Amino acid sequence: MSEVNSGENNSELQFKFCWVIALRAEATPLIDAFNMKIVENKSLFPIYVNEETGHALVISGIGSIKAAAAATFLKNYLKINDYSAWINFGIAGFFKDPIGNVYQANKVVSKESGAAFFPGLRLSKLIPAATLFTVSKPENGYEEKALYDMEAAGFCEMAPYFSCNELTYVIKIVSDTPNASSSLITKRLVRGLIEKQLSKISDILAEIEKLVEEEKKRLSIPNEVLQFEKRFKFTETNKYKFREIYRKWKVNFPSKNLDISEFLNSKPKEIILKLEKEVLANAKDWNML
Amino acid sequence: MIETIFFEQEIVEHPTTQRIRRALPRASWIPIDRYQELFNKRHQNFKLQKKNPSLILAKKYDNFVLPVPSGFGMDSHKSFYFSHMYNCLYDCKYCFLQGMYSSANFVLFVNYEDFFTSISKKINEYNGKTLTFFSGYDCDSLAFDKLSGFADEALNFFSDFPNTELELRTKSIAISSLLQRKALSNCVVAFSLSPAEIAKSLDSKAPSISRRISAIKQLAAAGWKIGLRFDPLIYTSDWQKLYSSLFSEIMEGLDPSVLHSISYGPLRFPKKMYKKAAKLHPDHKLFAFPMEEANGVISYGTKIETQMHDFLKSELNNYTSENKIFQCIT
Repeated sequence: MSEVNSGENNSELQFKFCWVIALRAEATPLIDAFNMKIVENKSLFPIYVNEETGHALVISGIGSIKAAAAATFLKNYLKINDYSAWINFGIAGFFKDPIGNVYQANKVVSKESGAAFFPGLRLSKLIPAATLFTVSKPENGYEEKALYDMEAAGFCEMAPYFSCNELTYVIKIVSDTPNASSSLITKRLVRGLIEKQLSKISDILAEIEKLVEEEKKRLSIPNEVLQFEKRFKFTETNKYKFREIYRKWKVNFPSKNLDISEFLNSKPKEIILKLEKEVLANAKDWNML
Repeated sequence: MIETIFFEQEIVEHPTTQRIRRALPRASWIPIDRYQELFNKRHQNFKLQKKNPSLILAKKYDNFVLPVPSGFGMDSHKSFYFSHMYNCLYDCKYCFLQGMYSSANFVLFVNYEDFFTSISKKINEYNGKTLTFFSGYDCDSLAFDKLSGFADEALNFFSDFPNTELELRTKSIAISSLLQRKALSNCVVAFSLSPAEIAKSLDSKAPSISRRISAIKQLAAAGWKIGLRFDPLIYTSDWQKLYSSLFSEIMEGLDPSVLHSISYGPLRFPKKMYKKAAKLHPDHKLFAFPMEEANGVISYGTKIETQMHDFLKSELNNYTSENKIFQCIT
């Protein structure tokens, strides 16, 4: 395919990683590490970005509903593409020591509603997995052999709508256990725990980025198509037909480009027809291999 | 290698679950209530999930045995199918499973005994009539067999019903469970095949055609009845030559009497399924041909289908009698 633009919404920004983080103390190490700058500080949810490295981050505040709302706010505010990865990151309680270990939640259960989510592809070569319970009040009993947080279930309810379940990740660093009370958590401790795992986090992002790139390639709309749609008035039906026949045409003739100057006096239907004819002619000696 | 296994808590003590747990001790085992809470979730990405599918162990409660879709089986017998598993290890571009399920995870229903009870009832219901039961409609019958152990249990069951036929449909070369036992006269091991060049392009993760042919010959030598399935037929330049070579490669050294049946079928998709599959593989040439649409079905069109049908019929007649050759149109 030829050079691509960002997709249906024609956003110029192409964010690969969308972070949804409850507290500033959890976000700061990532904001610093990925050199993100604030773009929105007046609304309920502060947003930080680094357009060059493709990071966007929203601070949600504590709670499941806020996590879902902040993710939605970020999606709409930056018109995030549907191939971006969504990551709920932060600290969590765990049933066993030590603190500081990083986990991927492969099952997230809302203690309140009982709803279960199964986010992400398993990153087994990089981090261990655990079940996570999202609770509405801080958990000090650690009754289940699991992680505990206060946001992931709300995040998991919404984020798959923005891209897909396989690009939705919940990554947590253990901050408290039965032997390390949550009352001992300080901003400094949080920063230290996260900074120690930055190298691991980079490895995780490299893995997720491969999936993002694959989806971007699959879902992005070529610039040629966008130019034609800007220049000609396609009805919704013709837009669909044009995109579909363009896709086939491009696979048939990968080295050809669609030259807008050849169609200046054409109607959308005529453009579609011309491509259909070329594809049909090429099918006479069809080589599928 | 399967890394994550979700299991319904109800079947945690089931012998099949226990056996799989022993076979995969290092996997993450995660309890769930019902498989649908995971398998039927919206916004799953089939293509990404296919990179690293999880296994879901579940219990099936109903619809164990269903009539085959029209055009699927041989018309001479009353035919049914059963699916002890949803989804497949392989990733064939034309496979209807990618359009049918939103998840690429494997669901294995471990309560094989309930499938067999339902099949027994069906056999009793049609007392005296020859029935055929197809496995491998929603999965590959053998690809997962090393872990599932299904084939062995199914063959034990069908050995008690010599007048009832079982078809195991596969692209797999995991045939050891069959070779370790005496061939069952009422079981057909049916292999799905395409010319090697086409299979290389379309049958991702599946064994090569030469390995499938080798498996066919091993099974035939051990006395198993063989089915050959050329479905879907793929159109490309030189297709006659490619299919002709494939037939001669299969039949070389193979006693035609081992052939139970040969069937072939055109490439067809319900429109919705075609759209979904094309969206998953937008750059693949399979979805760049100017297909025709008629009555909600996408196909190469009557002209190409007829050409391929006529050629296949005539070519296959060189190898076996006409009454063993079927066209399947589903």
